[in-house]
Amino acid sequence: MPGPSTTERLRVRDPNDIVTARRAARELCAQLGFGNADQTRLATAVSELTRNVIQYAGEGRCQIEDVSDAHSLGVRVTVEDQGPGIPDIERALRDGYSTSGGLGAGLPGTRRLVDHFEISSRPGLTQVIITLTRRR
Amino acid sequence: MNDSTLPRTLLEEDSETLIADWLERLRARWHQQGAPGDDPVILSVHLNSLHAALCDALNEPRTTPFALDPESRLARELGELVHHQTRQGASAEEVTDLVSALKPLLMKRMEPMLHADPAAALPLWLWLDEVFERLLGFTFAAFIETRERIITQQSLSLLELSTPVLRLWHQVLLLPLVGVVDTARARHFTERLLESVARYEALVTIIDVTGVPVLDTSVARHLMKTIDAARLLGTRIVMTGISPEGAQTLTKLGISFSEVTARASLRAGIAEALSLIGRRIAPLEQARP
Repeated sequence: MPGPSTTERLRVRDPNDIVTARRAARELCAQLGFGNADQTRLATAVSELTRNVIQYAGEGRCQIEDVSDAHSLGVRVTVEDQGPGIPDIERALRDGYSTSGGLGAGLPGTRRLVDHFEISSRPGLTQVIITLTRRR
Repeated sequence: MNDSTLPRTLLEEDSETLIADWLERLRARWHQQGAPGDDPVILSVHLNSLHAALCDALNEPRTTPFALDPESRLARELGELVHHQTRQGASAEEVTDLVSALKPLLMKRMEPMLHADPAAALPLWLWLDEVFERLLGFTFAAFIETRERIITQQSLSLLELSTPVLRLWHQVLLLPLVGVVDTARARHFTERLLESVARYEALVTIIDVTGVPVLDTSVARHLMKTIDAARLLGTRIVMTGISPEGAQTLTKLGISFSEVTARASLRAGIAEALSLIGRRIAPLEQARP
């Protein structure tokens, strides 16, 4: 049994932090006993979200925590920034929409990668919470 | 006691003993930390010249606060020694020991003066304290600077190392991607690949992504651009090394490399590339009838 639930708080400021954040996510997943596919999914999701932070807000924070309980394994990642916010969340969640010349697959793709996806955004605070859960 | 000059008993008198004690303290501390001891002979040479530079600097008219001129002999000697130690892999603690091991020795030499004439000795004591603070600060800054230089060099050489374009066969190229694919590296390997495609008139290029840790939309975008550009030069692309998890993730993200021939392993990719140019790998007996 892993000890008391672990929480990792990371700053997201430059592209190296993307690597650090997704490694931390992957490591926590591996530690809790998630399979390789799940590790890759979460790492990719974290990679997408933290890259968005750097691209659109410049800097932000990423928190990775163990939310496992008696019945299930779980990892929750909260990524937030104080950037300008997403003007039209619905469009941003649609495939192929991008304001920056990207593929427009980041947010909608991330939503498909995880089990729970929550997004809120206004100028000055954008927050995305994703969770990956597996039955024990 | 003259206020403007340093008492000779502090640094200069019996300097051999002082330097020997310094060396010994230093080595004892490093030994305690489990650091690999540097060659004592070389270290002693360094400490001797550092001592001489320190004598020079401290015999200058005293300034408050003590300022260490980066062009001064002391700064150069200390900087060089720190640089040398850091390159050998010394930790921050070991490097700062270089300076901090000397301080108690000097303080001890001051003890008689403090007893004899506290009023005169105390300002000197405080000033020396300041000098050592400054030297420690300088040492640490030099340590960080050296480390940063090492890191920059390493990332540069990594950039060079990790993106070779290999000639696999006549008109067949292999681009093995290893590590993080960011904008700088993508530009780097794209340039190299395009150059090679043009130079060798490559008909097929295998891009192997086994060593790419995460295939996300940003990496995919970089790859697509590279592939598009290479295609314009007339080469066909075979992509290899996408793991089962990677494939699943890419589809979930909604990314399809639909126009690209893909093979699971590099081996299958090589077979495919060769067949595209009308060759195959066969046993010797069959190859020569």
